[in-house]
Amino acid sequence: MVEETITGAGNGLLESDQLWACLTCGRCTEVCPSDVRFLGFIRDVRTLARESGRQGRCSHGATIQTWMRMMADPGLDQNRLDWLNDEAATGRHLRGLRTAKASDTIYFVGCLPHYEVLFSKIGAQAVEIAQSAVKVLNHLGIEPIVLADERCCGHDLLWEGELDTFRRLAALNAERLRATGAQRIVTTCPECARTLKLDYPQHVGDLGMEVVHISHLIAENELGIQDRGARKVTYHDPCRLARHMDIREEPRQVLSALGSEVVEMQHSRARALCCGTSAWTHCGATAKRLQVDRLREAKETGAETLVTSCAKCQIHFKCALDDPRVADELNIEIKDLVTLVAEAIG
Amino acid sequence: MSGTEPRVIVYTCNWNAYSGLETAGIQGLPYPANVHPIKVMCLGRLHPGLILQAFQHGAAGVLLLGCPPEECHYGFGNTRAEELFQQTAALAHLLGIGEERLGLDHVAAGQGEAFATKVRQFTEHLSGDGRS
Repeated sequence: MVEETITGAGNGLLESDQLWACLTCGRCTEVCPSDVRFLGFIRDVRTLARESGRQGRCSHGATIQTWMRMMADPGLDQNRLDWLNDEAATGRHLRGLRTAKASDTIYFVGCLPHYEVLFSKIGAQAVEIAQSAVKVLNHLGIEPIVLADERCCGHDLLWEGELDTFRRLAALNAERLRATGAQRIVTTCPECARTLKLDYPQHVGDLGMEVVHISHLIAENELGIQDRGARKVTYHDPCRLARHMDIREEPRQVLSALGSEVVEMQHSRARALCCGTSAWTHCGATAKRLQVDRLREAKETGAETLVTSCAKCQIHFKCALDDPRVADELNIEIKDLVTLVAEAIG
Repeated sequence: MSGTEPRVIVYTCNWNAYSGLETAGIQGLPYPANVHPIKVMCLGRLHPGLILQAFQHGAAGVLLLGCPPEECHYGFGNTRAEELFQQTAALAHLLGIGEERLGLDHVAAGQGEAFATKVRQFTEHLSGDGRS
């Protein structure tokens, strides 16, 4: 693709289905001997394709892209914080979550409440991730701001080339985040972390605050957990965290702090395999194959739990296991890192 | 609410509900001019994305009209329609869309009066500007 574009033979690229098949996982960039920055290339070409009216094949009936576009409306009056008091959705240990109107820390929730609705059938623990994050922050002495009028960070639209909607979302978020006066944004979603930290400065200017993924924050702090239940786990590195942001050791440090034995899959850290789909686009047989391959690697470690730190990775693996033919062979418990920490705090 | 804007989208299934719509037409029964019916084979074939897109493009309301209980042409379409309605309603709530703007109901075949009445009542409960 790159060669065809450089030599001018790539005129068909904009129409090519392959343009949307790239997972933007960054694995090729990690191993490329010629230092081709393929991620930037694919994103730019997709932007050109979108400008000329082309787009990828949206999975889930474009439901997710639609709510993202709806959030670009400045007048939208959302009800996105019900989960803070939704005790029925999760266990007793997640009651009594404390947030604040003013704080030096913002917890950026992202689309977790929406994923909870769309993926409840496959047992996605999306809201539990958000509740666990606030619980863990409270445990570390932090009462975060949680914005009632937060928008989707725009990650998926940016990587699908829909630059104008991304910029509108980014501008709305930037305005609201800056107005809090906070110094730090904590996210549970690696994609939100990447987008706020690396992409917002280019498109809407410096936010004037630090952006950290919660695994990084937890690794830097002493959890003080006494009752450490031994658990053999394997950790799946999300692309955005492990390759886009080089956060590979912190989640493992957190798991060790919980008393878990971390066993590695055949491909891990910078060489980790992707969960199969990116930006809710182009899901299909190839995505399923990638998911099954990854689940097989997880199963081969002998771990009882596959831990992720990305809600989307969790959803994709649980979707693959929703197929009984896959589940019979590869069934494994799948948990998010922050929910494990919240359980350990008790 | 009067005139042709803001639009109200009425998804009807191809069987009972669409028959109700046709009967309303044959009998010349009036319903608001801003109602835009869209026929699908079965409400269970819809997806939350198709409903949310109507709101994204400015629909004041979306009403799903299908078959009465136990009369689904395909047997299981009603159940699927109920599931997707609940899912879409939960997403619409998150997005600040008032619950009066999304409805699920049924019309028996040939019931033109029921179709016109249900559509009229749904539309009358919507606020004028398409927002809630």
